[in-house]
Amino acid sequence: MTRNTRILMSVIYWAFIVYLFVPLALMVTMGFKDSKFIGFPIRSWTLDWYATVIQDTEVLSVFGYSMTIAIATTILSLIIGTWVAVFLGPNQFRGKAIIFALACLPAVIPGIISAIALRIFARLIDIEPGMFAIILGHTVHNVPFVALVVMARLSTQPKSHIEAARDLGADSIVAFFRVTLPYLKPALIGAGIFCMLLSFDDFVRAFFLGGYQPTLPVLIFAKLRSGMSPEINAISTIVLIMTAILGLWAERSMRRLNKGS
Amino acid sequence: MTGEKDTIVHIDNVTKRFGSVVAVDQLDMKIMAGEFVTFLGPSGCGKSTTLRMLGGFENPTEGRIVLDGVDVTSQPPNRRDVNMVFQDYALFPHMTVGQNVSFGLELKGKSRPEIERRMTELLDFLQLSGFRDRTPDQLSGGQRQRVALARALAPDPKLLLLDEPLGALDAKLRGQVQIELKDIQKRTGKTFFFVTHDQEEALTMSDRIVVMNAGRVEQDGTPEDLYFRPESRFVAEFIGETNLINGTVRGVEDSAVILDWNGLSIRGSGHGHRPAAGENVTASLRLENVNCHNKKPANQNAVEGRVVSKLFKGSRTSLDIRVGEREDSVIRAYMDAGKAAEIADDQLWISWEPERLTVLRD
Repeated sequence: MTRNTRILMSVIYWAFIVYLFVPLALMVTMGFKDSKFIGFPIRSWTLDWYATVIQDTEVLSVFGYSMTIAIATTILSLIIGTWVAVFLGPNQFRGKAIIFALACLPAVIPGIISAIALRIFARLIDIEPGMFAIILGHTVHNVPFVALVVMARLSTQPKSHIEAARDLGADSIVAFFRVTLPYLKPALIGAGIFCMLLSFDDFVRAFFLGGYQPTLPVLIFAKLRSGMSPEINAISTIVLIMTAILGLWAERSMRRLNKGS
Repeated sequence: MTGEKDTIVHIDNVTKRFGSVVAVDQLDMKIMAGEFVTFLGPSGCGKSTTLRMLGGFENPTEGRIVLDGVDVTSQPPNRRDVNMVFQDYALFPHMTVGQNVSFGLELKGKSRPEIERRMTELLDFLQLSGFRDRTPDQLSGGQRQRVALARALAPDPKLLLLDEPLGALDAKLRGQVQIELKDIQKRTGKTFFFVTHDQEEALTMSDRIVVMNAGRVEQDGTPEDLYFRPESRFVAEFIGETNLINGTVRGVEDSAVILDWNGLSIRGSGHGHRPAAGENVTASLRLENVNCHNKKPANQNAVEGRVVSKLFKGSRTSLDIRVGEREDSVIRAYMDAGKAAEIADDQLWISWEPERLTVLRD
């Protein structure tokens, strides 16, 4: 690489960083502005918006609602995704490619299409719009990600681990729970965090499948329509910090677990 | 009981095919309790398939496997009283050394104090007591190998399978572990079924070696049998270094076989095999069994030759001696470095004991 291309590359890199972080920084900054209107100049600073958020029972209950959906979705997706991965696992059989493609399809279907399809389907089989429908919608979307991550991890497990467990007296179910599942732990943590974030962040499916109770993204959208207020910035900042911490923690613990095996 | 050792495993006419490939071809043999048996052969000879069939990881296409009087042919690995030390050790990475060793005992439904007692006993026995709470990634290769051994011995199997367990160790450690393994086998009195492609390993440790080639047994005997009395060309070449001599049988006299080699009359031994006069045969003569002399020795089996190359190899010197004009008439001999120095001239005489020149069956 010549000196000039190196300089060019680093300029592009830093431009990207600026593009990524300036909007975030603006959003965070505005949350501390002591005025109802978003924009410069900022004359005085305040923490009042955060106080408002924390005392706003509607925001808190919606936050809890979104968390419940995210956790339920994650648990379901992990169970189904792992099952798919193990089922598709190392064995070759007829139609494997087709089953694999079908299992992965929900990950690439546009959100709006799958949201409408799920809405129609939910009505057809008499599922009320609401939490249960959203959880189902999110799970369908998340399973492929779990399956892919778990399959990748599974392919690195030496066959001899399972054989050793069988040799020492485990039937295939015991071998799975005592040897394979612990081996999959880093993949499950990573995929689980990813599911949580996907579910928590989702707007389209939650909007189409939800009932009267909004999820957090839907609530923020509703608030936006009634006028931009720094309260939204405060909510967003809290969510940003929480997800960043969760993401970094997941990354760290995955790396530690991977190193341990 | 006739006072002989009991048969612990009977491999009863077992054939294993993978598609059209015959991996093991009508193998029929008995393994005695307390034996250290090594299956030796090049990769793809069927030794690992045999081991995997004993472990229950492959099912024979034909034949039966009888373990201590019970037909276990269709039993899955978890139901057999057989444990295995895997080539890559296959230690469970998320468990400590202690948990790895206890695993088989837990699944056998032993009580907590019993598991604890047996696990401690094995860790002591294999000098692993200090490593009980470590995980496998905190151990050296040799320690991992011992943990794998402890884990496989813990459920007290009737037969212990070892699948090239020394392959991953460096050369220096391997020599030491060979001695340890042999010692452990003696002290536990367990039947060891060892699989390797390394002839030195096999010679060092085994009571009995089974040489396999292309799914069939080439020869089955003690290390000394195989080394000094190989029956086939394959065994002679696979184990150690040897000179192969092509000759025609002139006659058989008591235990000696008289061969015509390059117009010379030489004496060898069939070790029970009596080839017919006029038959073309191959005979094997180990490098260290060739004696060199400055003058013609008072020996029937003496041939004159000329040194064509002399290589100093530290503890010994290797001599290539041409004794005739034919392609196969160069004999290689190993000598003490000191004795080799006494060979002044390029012209010399070589001789050998007739029973050291083994006439091969094929």
